[in-house]
Amino acid sequence: MDAVDHIPVTVLTGFLGSGKTTVLNHLLRQPEMNGVVAIINEFGEVALDHLLVESSEDRLALLDNGCICCSVREDLIETLADLASRRAAGTIPPFHRVLVETTGLADPVPVLHTLMTAPDIVGRYRIDGVVATTDAVNGVHTLDAYGEAVRQIAVADRLLVTKTDLVSDGALAQLEVKLAAINPVAVRCHVRNGRVDPAAVLDAGLFDPAARSADVVQWFETAAKAADAPREHAHHDCAGDHCDHHSHHAHDSDVQSYSLIIDEPIQGDAFARWLDYVAALRGEDLLRFKAIVNVAEQPDAPLVVHGVQHVFHPPISLAGWPSDDRRSRLVFIVRGIPRDIIENTLCKFAAVSRAAIQRPAA
Amino acid sequence: MPMDKTFADTVFRNGRIYTSNRKQPWATWAAVRAGRFIAVGEERDVAPLLGERTTVVDLGGRMAMPGIVDIHNHIMMGGQADLYELRFASSDSVAKIAETLHKAASRAAPGAWIVGGQFGNNLLGEMNTTESCALLDAACLGHPVVLRDDTYHNRWASSAALRLAGVQPDTPDPTDGEIGRDLKTGTLTGIMIEAASGLVERALAASGHYTAEMDRAAVARSISVLNAYGVTAFIDAASMQPIMAALKGLDDRGELTAWAVCAMPVVEPGFMFGKAGEELFALRETYRGAHVKPDYAKVFLDGVPGAKTAAFHEPYLADPVRGCCFRGATMLTVPELIRWLGRCEKLGIAAKIHCAGDAAVTQALDAIDVVRSFNGATHLVHQIAHASYIAPGDIPRFAELGVAADLSPIIWYPTIFLEAHKAAMGEERAQRFWPNKDLKEAGALMAGGSDWPVIPIPDPWQGIEGMVTRQNPTGDFPGKSLWAEQALDLATVIDIYTIDAARAAGLSQIVGSIEVGKSADLIVLDQMIFDVAADRLADTRVDMTFFEGRKVYERA
Repeated sequence: MDAVDHIPVTVLTGFLGSGKTTVLNHLLRQPEMNGVVAIINEFGEVALDHLLVESSEDRLALLDNGCICCSVREDLIETLADLASRRAAGTIPPFHRVLVETTGLADPVPVLHTLMTAPDIVGRYRIDGVVATTDAVNGVHTLDAYGEAVRQIAVADRLLVTKTDLVSDGALAQLEVKLAAINPVAVRCHVRNGRVDPAAVLDAGLFDPAARSADVVQWFETAAKAADAPREHAHHDCAGDHCDHHSHHAHDSDVQSYSLIIDEPIQGDAFARWLDYVAALRGEDLLRFKAIVNVAEQPDAPLVVHGVQHVFHPPISLAGWPSDDRRSRLVFIVRGIPRDIIENTLCKFAAVSRAAIQRPAA
Repeated sequence: MPMDKTFADTVFRNGRIYTSNRKQPWATWAAVRAGRFIAVGEERDVAPLLGERTTVVDLGGRMAMPGIVDIHNHIMMGGQADLYELRFASSDSVAKIAETLHKAASRAAPGAWIVGGQFGNNLLGEMNTTESCALLDAACLGHPVVLRDDTYHNRWASSAALRLAGVQPDTPDPTDGEIGRDLKTGTLTGIMIEAASGLVERALAASGHYTAEMDRAAVARSISVLNAYGVTAFIDAASMQPIMAALKGLDDRGELTAWAVCAMPVVEPGFMFGKAGEELFALRETYRGAHVKPDYAKVFLDGVPGAKTAAFHEPYLADPVRGCCFRGATMLTVPELIRWLGRCEKLGIAAKIHCAGDAAVTQALDAIDVVRSFNGATHLVHQIAHASYIAPGDIPRFAELGVAADLSPIIWYPTIFLEAHKAAMGEERAQRFWPNKDLKEAGALMAGGSDWPVIPIPDPWQGIEGMVTRQNPTGDFPGKSLWAEQALDLATVIDIYTIDAARAAGLSQIVGSIEVGKSADLIVLDQMIFDVAADRLADTRVDMTFFEGRKVYERA
């Protein structure tokens, strides 16, 4: 599936008070936002007035840096479809990327499902990634108290830890351990006063099929190591000598992560069938799944698959392998799905031989 | 009164009580309080529970045993048929059926529907002709008539009924169904195969022919019939809303005299109409009662062998319509079935999966295998209904996957059904029917059922005898056996009708054996079944049936 022309969408999520609005406020002022549509919850929350170039209507505004700012309609699908039509009709400046802010209390999963499945959306947009803010002051408490906050962290590709200047190193480390337990594969960045590099937010997903297959593989290597690293190695610097490849397990939630390497080509239809089964039976507990797969039928075009719960993004074929390493790599963030079940079912239903399944070497 | 708390409400004494409890197979006395057994054993164990107000039932040395569990019946239809429908035998010829119908039509109110059954499905071919259609229309005197076959999957409708159902000569066949047309002339014959039956049944339902009160009366009638045969628990195998409403209505009135497990269809079956699947599941708690348990789903995976609608690995015999290589087909794909099973398991619902052909059995086991592999162990017991044509390789999978074999209808000996199967697939294959012994030896959980009214009376004693002898207990097909090597011993068969059926129905904590703590469902027999010749088992009469310690049937 050729997804080169699809407009990448970045989802910015974060619990109430996690500094999401501050981050957004900072982003909207950056020159890199030229050609980006920011769909935000409420204009009132971000101080836009002095940035406005024109505001033809209450829902849409052009900022002086070329960013199109747009308040979400009742329905995200409608908003995105409308933007695409306007872009095609030339009634708004062309844009090459979308940033969607979710509400603080929102479970981001339905937003992701919309982006992955809505017929008006799938052919025009693709998810680039999910960025979640969490604040160093209240983060631990919020994660203990709110399931939505845990889900926001679990599905993220990148975590922005805000207000790090307001807490001790010890408190920050405690939060980091917790975040790593919920989602070890997300890249974490510290943010002060919302000052975040736009590239850190907008290039979170690494799913640009055309240009950056090397990055995708790099991402998998990093993520796989993180997923399987013991918790004290929570940062992405596991040197390998002492890694014992236990799965990550957050003791205070039952979210767990692990990765598999499969050192043989996988039959495309068998793998698709396995995906179908896992989505149907364990989709609810499959918080995030990403895979780069060596498909037997197309050995030179690895397949990138990612899923959020029971919904899978249409698989994307990369133009080629970036290195000689053509092994399939699968990364899971799950709630209560033992690794054994994944391995056993891959053998049984995806025609994978058990000997080909490896746990990543660091 | 505090005194009463230490004494039994009822004590059974002087019996030969077979308990279906392996730890204590026999007893002579049993005591009941508040509907539960509180003591089972000998006189010395139970006599201290005799109080002034205790009712004593002297069994006079007769045999007693646990109430029988019918793993598969259609609880509304039996009573409906008894109370409101025209009956004829499945061995009746087309001419005989027309004669019976003509008499009924002469007496029926103008314009009234006549519902009848069950004709042998071996007649479907003969009925599917212009000549037979003319015979039917002449007999019914203009009344809308719908006659059901002995599989309940197919219908023969009069032209008036077809008109009310809006069936025209050019009406396309529905999915999974076929509207009968004369092979030579192409005109409608009134034969409606599988889903096509729904066209006529829907018109019947829309006519308001049956009311809620009639529904309750029909269910009560059915249960009184079951009680008379010693049945005190059952699974209704296709529980639509009116059936659950009738069961709950009876239970709330204290008039339900059996444990009722409801299997809610995941999609509208071809012979019943209304809410199904999620919409029906959503009503579970509305209809749950002290004795009504809507905890099963019903999945139809194929049809029946006689109509060539069951799904087989090997083709049916060649015929002009289907050609040489027709194997039948399943109504759901493996992924679809997996989705339903996954959904059911999330809701705590077990599935009863109708699989009449061996390919349907394989598919159901494949799907359950997938579900078990992803979901791990479960307390839910899924069932394969009519587990009768089974590929040898699938037999061990029942035990491996924890799937129960629902043995119904009672046709594990030579019957008219078997004759239809021979016509459809040839004698040798048709005979490899009901590998009960193989299933048992492979460790499968097996449960006896009637599938009433697919068989005209829900008499478990015929089934019990037939499982032991593999010969027809009614005297039909004398001297003939069906796959005699698959006979089982009586103790095994009694388990299949009591404790094992209770396990398969998810009721083993409550019923299935005479044990302290379980529901005091006990039946008293007129003969000691372990002492009589196997070919006398079907003669067993139930003298008394107790449900929760209360006598709900006594033989006149």
